[in-house]
Amino acid sequence: MLSVKSISKSYGKKKILDNMTFSVQHGEILGLVGENGAGKSTLLKILATLLKPDAGQIELDQLSYQKQRAKVRKKIGFVPQDIVVWENLTVEENMLFFAKLSWKKKSVDELRQLCLDMNLEKWKEPVKTLSGGMKRKLNLAISLIHDPTLLLLDEPTVGIDLKSRKEIGAYLKKLAADQGAMIIYISHDMDEITSLCDRILCIGNDPFYKNILKKTNKEIATFH
Amino acid sequence: MKHILLTRLLHWKKQWPSLLFWLLFPVIAAFLFAAAANEMQSEITVPVGVVVEDDTPSAHELYEKIAQAPFLRVHKTTKADALHLLEKHELDSVFIILEGYEKKIRSGSRNGLLTSYESNRSFAYTPVKEMILSFVQEETGRAKAAYTVQQLSKQSAGKEIWTMEEITESSKRIQSEESLLETDFSYAPVENQAEKNSQPLVNVWEWWAIFTVLSTLLLSDWVIKEKKARMHIRLAFSRYSFKNYLLRNAFLYTALFFIFDLIAIGLFTLFLKEHVVVPAVMSMLSFRLMIQCGGFLAAQMFTHLYRFYSASFAIASIFAIISGAILPVHPFSSRHRWLEWLHPIHSVEAWLFAAILLMWIWYVRKEKSIA
Ligand SMILES: Nc1ncnc2c1ncn2[C@@H]1O[C@H](COP(=O)(O)OP(=O)(O)O)[C@@H](O)[C@H]1O
Ligand SMILES: [Mg+2]
Repeated sequence: MLSVKSISKSYGKKKILDNMTFSVQHGEILGLVGENGAGKSTLLKILATLLKPDAGQIELDQLSYQKQRAKVRKKIGFVPQDIVVWENLTVEENMLFFAKLSWKKKSVDELRQLCLDMNLEKWKEPVKTLSGGMKRKLNLAISLIHDPTLLLLDEPTVGIDLKSRKEIGAYLKKLAADQGAMIIYISHDMDEITSLCDRILCIGNDPFYKNILKKTNKEIATFH
Repeated sequence: MKHILLTRLLHWKKQWPSLLFWLLFPVIAAFLFAAAANEMQSEITVPVGVVVEDDTPSAHELYEKIAQAPFLRVHKTTKADALHLLEKHELDSVFIILEGYEKKIRSGSRNGLLTSYESNRSFAYTPVKEMILSFVQEETGRAKAAYTVQQLSKQSAGKEIWTMEEITESSKRIQSEESLLETDFSYAPVENQAEKNSQPLVNVWEWWAIFTVLSTLLLSDWVIKEKKARMHIRLAFSRYSFKNYLLRNAFLYTALFFIFDLIAIGLFTLFLKEHVVVPAVMSMLSFRLMIQCGGFLAAQMFTHLYRFYSASFAIASIFAIISGAILPVHPFSSRHRWLEWLHPIHSVEAWLFAAILLMWIWYVRKEKSIA
């Protein structure tokens, strides 16, 4: 379980996150919405241990973010908003590259299967020749090499075709259901969020999101 | 380390043509430039004025010797004309064989044999002066020997033949006297040893050093590529910290370059046996470490590849200038002594120390945020 207790974060005098408390259970997908600049990416980086909150406690499966950061990290998969892969290498070489650096040993077959599970069939092709959807899938697959229990995705489907988007969504649902992964998902696409997520967190003061979300029957928490 | 090597090999496999080119570039370019420079060297002649005031066989003989020296274009003229040409910088330097030259040599006197003039733009004055001095020395040596032989034959008038001991004794005495000769000339004080044998010739290792600085800098672009690909985000969720990962890769590049340094040593010794002093492998390693650290740290300061490439060429050019490869003068004359301190080859230890210190500061410095 991920438990977040009264965390706050400011940049200088600008308060971005204020006294935020929530938790995520195993097998659950949490959606994060809010206007641009609301602080979604900031929250995700804090949950990824890349940024420290000014106040509050976070625990992942009873491991403290403050005291056991190295252990916590091994359980986290972070899918950055930008595509962070080697464009000049093939899909196979990218998977091998990051597998060598990973905490977990994976065979070539296992790496291949990971890609196939999200319908990333191209294996020998250089990444620079792939479509945006394929690159997004690879960006996700690399983050999953060490079998994380908490998966954090920052707008992972932005600007890609509908088919790839659906395939990524289906894969995440399966990951949560079969392996009990906790998934936190940022998106601007309301349809995607409502169909994919079990609960939704709304960050910021824009009533627009709240009004749309009211029409869904999901549990919604709002933070300012 | 094995894992980092495997990840680096994935990149090298794609980049091998350009990688191999830049690794071999210093050796090949040094060969070509050293050959071209030597070619040019033999075509360059220094204009020198010689005035023969002493109309004697010895004086003319000295003139002939000077005239025949390679590298020199000798103008035989009057003193007034020679000085005029020197003033206009049409002559590099002027040497006057003074009246009474032969007589003084015969009598064993070594003062007032020659007078010389140089201008503020003379660059070959010292080596030419040294060369002429050596000619004169031969002459005085011969006169001395002749004189000694005369003396010996007078002493041994009664004997049938000189003993071996007597001959070697005499020649040793002549030798030791002759080696003092130089200081007896009424010339400007002899300049320091280092400059005495200075030749403007740049050797193949100096060329190699310039080109290897260039290729080391250019191949340090991998650091910028890592940053551009934002690999620090991925490395946060791996077994290595980003800095540790960079440092290990820097080590791999250093090792790769050093293999090619050893190849360079091998090739230069094989093909240029006579001209090349092979630097010790240890000083080669210090130099390699130093420029590798330099390239790594320099690349840390750039985000744009093309700006980094331009800067690399600029740095290599500055290095070439202070090496004396571009200027015709050897830079380490007394006037440019300070350059020696600036020069990475001539004070490797100081530069290596500075580079390692900077690397350490880079490594321990806390980065504000990683993502
Ligand atoms: N490193 C930073 N320094 C100062 N301000 C920042 C920094 N990163 C983000 N911000 C600001 O914090 C706010 C929240 O940013 P972010 O979390 O990226 O928003 P979102 O992802 O919801 O669009 C924005 O106003 C942004 O300008
Ligand atoms: Mg964002």
